Amino acid sequence: MIDAFDEFLNYITTVGPLKLLRIFWFFVYFEFARFFVFELAVVVVWKLREPARKILYSNARRRLFIERPLVSIIVPGKNEGLHIYKLANSLKEQTYSNFEFIVIDDGSDDDTERICKSLQKNGFIDLFLRNDVRGGKASAANLGYRFSKGKIIVHLDADCSYDNDAIEKIIIPFYLDDNVGAVGGNILVRNYRENLCTTLQAIEYSDTISVGRITSSALGIYRVVSGAFGAFTREALDRVGGWDIGPGLDGDITVKLRKLKYRIVFEPEAICQTSVPNSFKKLIKQRLRWDKSIIRFRVRKHRDVFYPNETFSFSNFISSAENITYNLLLNIKWWVYLFDMAINYTSLLKFIFPFNILLYTANNFLKFIIFSLFRNRKNAPVIYFIPYLPCMVIYFGFYLRFVRTVAYIQEFFFKRSYKDVWNPQKSSAHAKELGI
Amino acid sequence: METTAIKSKFEFNDNVLSFFNKSFYYLESFSTLKIDTLNKYDAIILDARDVEFARIILKKFRSHSNIEFYLKPIFLINTKTNNDPLLKELVDGTIISFDQIPETINDINQISIKTAQLESSNSNSFEVQLFKKVLNYMFTRETNTFTPHPDINSSIGYCFPTISVNFETFEEAKVLDLLEWAEKENLIWPDFLDRVYLCSNCKNGHLSYREICPNCDSANMRSEDLVHHFPCGYIGAISDFRNNVDTVLNCPKCSKNLRHIGVDYDKPSIINHCQNCNEVFQDYLVKAKCAHCKTDTDVQFLLSKNINVYKLTKKGRTAAVGGISASDFTLSDEIFGTVNLKTFATMMHYEQERIKTNPTLSANIVIIYIENIFDLYRKIGKSKERELLAEFVNIVRDGITPADFICINNPSILSVCINDVALNDAQLRVMKITDKLEELVYNNFEGFALNVFTQTVQLSKEQSFDKQLHVLIKEIVEKG
Repeated sequence: MIDAFDEFLNYITTVGPLKLLRIFWFFVYFEFARFFVFELAVVVVWKLREPARKILYSNARRRLFIERPLVSIIVPGKNEGLHIYKLANSLKEQTYSNFEFIVIDDGSDDDTERICKSLQKNGFIDLFLRNDVRGGKASAANLGYRFSKGKIIVHLDADCSYDNDAIEKIIIPFYLDDNVGAVGGNILVRNYRENLCTTLQAIEYSDTISVGRITSSALGIYRVVSGAFGAFTREALDRVGGWDIGPGLDGDITVKLRKLKYRIVFEPEAICQTSVPNSFKKLIKQRLRWDKSIIRFRVRKHRDVFYPNETFSFSNFISSAENITYNLLLNIKWWVYLFDMAINYTSLLKFIFPFNILLYTANNFLKFIIFSLFRNRKNAPVIYFIPYLPCMVIYFGFYLRFVRTVAYIQEFFFKRSYKDVWNPQKSSAHAKELGI
Repeated sequence: METTAIKSKFEFNDNVLSFFNKSFYYLESFSTLKIDTLNKYDAIILDARDVEFARIILKKFRSHSNIEFYLKPIFLINTKTNNDPLLKELVDGTIISFDQIPETINDINQISIKTAQLESSNSNSFEVQLFKKVLNYMFTRETNTFTPHPDINSSIGYCFPTISVNFETFEEAKVLDLLEWAEKENLIWPDFLDRVYLCSNCKNGHLSYREICPNCDSANMRSEDLVHHFPCGYIGAISDFRNNVDTVLNCPKCSKNLRHIGVDYDKPSIINHCQNCNEVFQDYLVKAKCAHCKTDTDVQFLLSKNINVYKLTKKGRTAAVGGISASDFTLSDEIFGTVNLKTFATMMHYEQERIKTNPTLSANIVIIYIENIFDLYRKIGKSKERELLAEFVNIVRDGITPADFICINNPSILSVCINDVALNDAQLRVMKITDKLEELVYNNFEGFALNVFTQTVQLSKEQSFDKQLHVLIKEIVEKG
C-alpha cells in the first residue's frame, strides 16, 4: 500500500504539467474552469454589486407594498392532502398577506378532497378546485391559473414549506425590473439529516443548484424556474398560455418566457424548503425524469432557439447551449475521456483514477467552503457537511453521471418521457404525436 | 242523508239517534255542533263529506282534556277516500249508512268497559298528563303502537295521530319531544323508520333546500363543465372553448378544434360562477330556508330527528291503566320557594296542631287550579313550562307573607297555606294573585286567557288534612 502510494507520488511529481493537462483535461477544462473558477468570478462580481442592489431592492420593496397587488398562490398536486395543512399554516405567517391560496386536486384517490374542503371551509384555502379525473400537473396548474385573480401567480409544491418572507421576496424582483416575467425561488433541502442520500442532495442543492442559479441569473441565462417555488406575472403566463405537458414543465415554461424576451431571474433570498428523495432508488426515478427533459425540451421542442430567426436571442442561445453542453455533451465527453484514458493510458490508470478522485475531492472542498461564504442562508453549519464531501465524487461523478447517461439514451432513442406515469397517457400520447 | 229512512229504524230526534239503550249524536256541520253537551252521548257519528270539517271535529274531541271527550267513540259516515292519517287512526270505525249502527254497539261497549278500568292518577307534569291521556286512548282502543304517517299538514312531515292531535300542526316537533321523553322513561321502545331534518330555530321541517354561493349566499349561479384539452394541457370552463361563429369547441391556448371526448379532451369536473358576486367555486353551499320562521341554515346545522315506530313497553302498558310514575319529576325541588306535597302535608299537620293550641290562631288553605294550563304548555314546550311555573310561584309568593308556604301539586294545581289572617283577607289576596296570573299570561302569550279557579277555606282542626285537600281539589276540578 505504502509502495503504491510512493509510486503514485513519484509519478505525479515526475510527470510534467503538459502531460498532466493531457491526462486530466476533463477536470481542468470543464469541471474546475467552468464550475469553480468561472462561477466564483461571477459570484464575486455579484457580491460586489450587492450594496447597489440593496438600494434598488429596498425601493422595489417599497413599490410593492404601496401597490400591494393580489398574488395568487397555486398549488397543484395529487394525493397531497396531508401536506396542505402545514403549507396553509406556513402561508398564514407570510409577511406579504394580500394573496389568495388556490389548491388544485388533480384526481386524488386519498383523503385530499376531504381535507382540502375542510381547510377551505375553515378559511385556510381560498379556492379549492378538483379534477375528478387526473389530468397531469400541467393541467392542474393551468386550472389554478385560469381561475386565479392575482396580478402575480406563485406556483408552489404542496410538500414544501416557506420562510415567512418568502412570498414577499419572490415578488420583489418584479418591481426591480418591469421586464421580469418569472422569478425562481431558492430551494433548500429540509430532510438533509435523514440519511446519506438526502445529505448528498443537500450539498448538491446548495452548491450546484443554488450557486449555479445565482451565476446563471447574473449572466441572464437562468433557465429553470422551479415548480416548487416560482412566480410569474399574469401577463407573461397569459402570453404563453400557461404550462405545457410535462415532465419538465418548469424548464419548458421558462424557455417559452425567455423566447418572449422576458427576463427570468433567480431570487436567492426567497427560501423554500423541500424534502428530497430519501433513497437512491427514488432519486434515480426523479433524476431520470429531470434529465430526460433536456433532450425533450432543449434539444427537440425548443431547438429553434439556435435558429437565427426573428425570435433569436443571444442569451437564449447561450442558456440552452450551456445547458446542453455542460449536461449532455460533457456527459458524453466524460465517457470519451474514460475511453481515452483506458486506451491511451492503460498502464497509468492506477495513477489516473486515484488522482482524479483526489482532484475532484479537493475541488469539492474548495468549492463548498468558498461558495458557502456567498450563501446568506444555509440549512446547517458548513462543518456538518464536511465529512460527507468526499462522497460527492462518487455521487456526482459516477452515480448522477450514470443516471444522466441512461436518461439521455432512453429519451434520445426511445422517447421514454412520453411514457412516464408522472403524466397521464392521454396527454402524453398527444404530446408525443405533436412533438411537444 | 235521508232522515226519513233513518226514522223508520231508529229514533231520530234533533240529530240524536237512539238504538237500544245507546244514544248517538250525528254531527254533520258546524251548525249542529254543541260540543259541550256531547259528553252525554255514547258515541258520535261524524259526517265526513267535508273532510276538513271532520278533521276539525275529530281534533276537538281527541285533544280535549276531559276524558269523556277524548275517549268518546266516534264513527265516520259518508267518508270519501282520503289519506288523512287523523281520520284513519282516530276514529273507531266507518259506517256506510245508519243501518250499520248496530254493528258499532259492540265496539262502544268494549271502549266503555276499558274506560271503566282506567285509574285516575294525580299526574304532575305536562308530559305525564299528556302521555297518560294518549295511553288511555290506546288502552281503550287496544293498540300498542305509535305509527308515524307522512303528512303534508305536519310541520315535520310526519304525524303520530294519537299524539299529534293534541298539538297544532305547526308544533309537531313537540310530539317528537314527548316521544323522546317517553322513550327515556322506558314507556316505549323505538324501531327506526326514517329521519327528518328540522329547522334548528323553530323545529319546522318545511325547508327549502338551495345551492348557494359560499361567498354571498346567493342562489343565482351558473354551472359549467370544465374542459381539459390533452395536447396543450389547457383547462378551463367550456365557455372558454366556445366561439361566436359555430358550435365547434376551439382551444383558447392552441386554437385546435376539440373533436372527440376521451381522446383529445375530457370534462374532469364542473365550475360554478356566482352571478351575484362573480365568485368562482366548485362546491356550493347547501342551505335550507325554513318556510315557517325564514331562518336560513347551513344543512349541517339542521336538527336531525329519527322518526321511529314506537311500541309500548311493559311499563308503558301498565302505565296505560295505572298511571305514570315519571322518574325525573319533582317540580317542587326544581322551583325555588315551594315544597313538595309530602312536606306540605306534614307542615299542614303541624299547622293544625298549632291552631288547636290557641283559638285565636287560624290558617287557610288555598287551591289555585289553572284549568287550561296544558293548552298553554302545549304552546310553549317543556323548557318554558318550568319557567312559567316559577313565574306563577313568584306571583303567589309576592301575594302572601314569608311565613306562608306553597306546594305544587301538579303543573295545574298549586296549594297554598296562608296563616293567621281572616278568611276574607285570604280570599282578597287570592283574588289579587289570580288577576296577576291572568295578566301575566295574557300579556306574554298573545292574549291567551287563563282560566283560573280558586278555592279558599279555613283549615279544619278536626278533619285530616289529606282528606280536606282531596275534597277541595275534587270540587275545584269539577267546578273547572
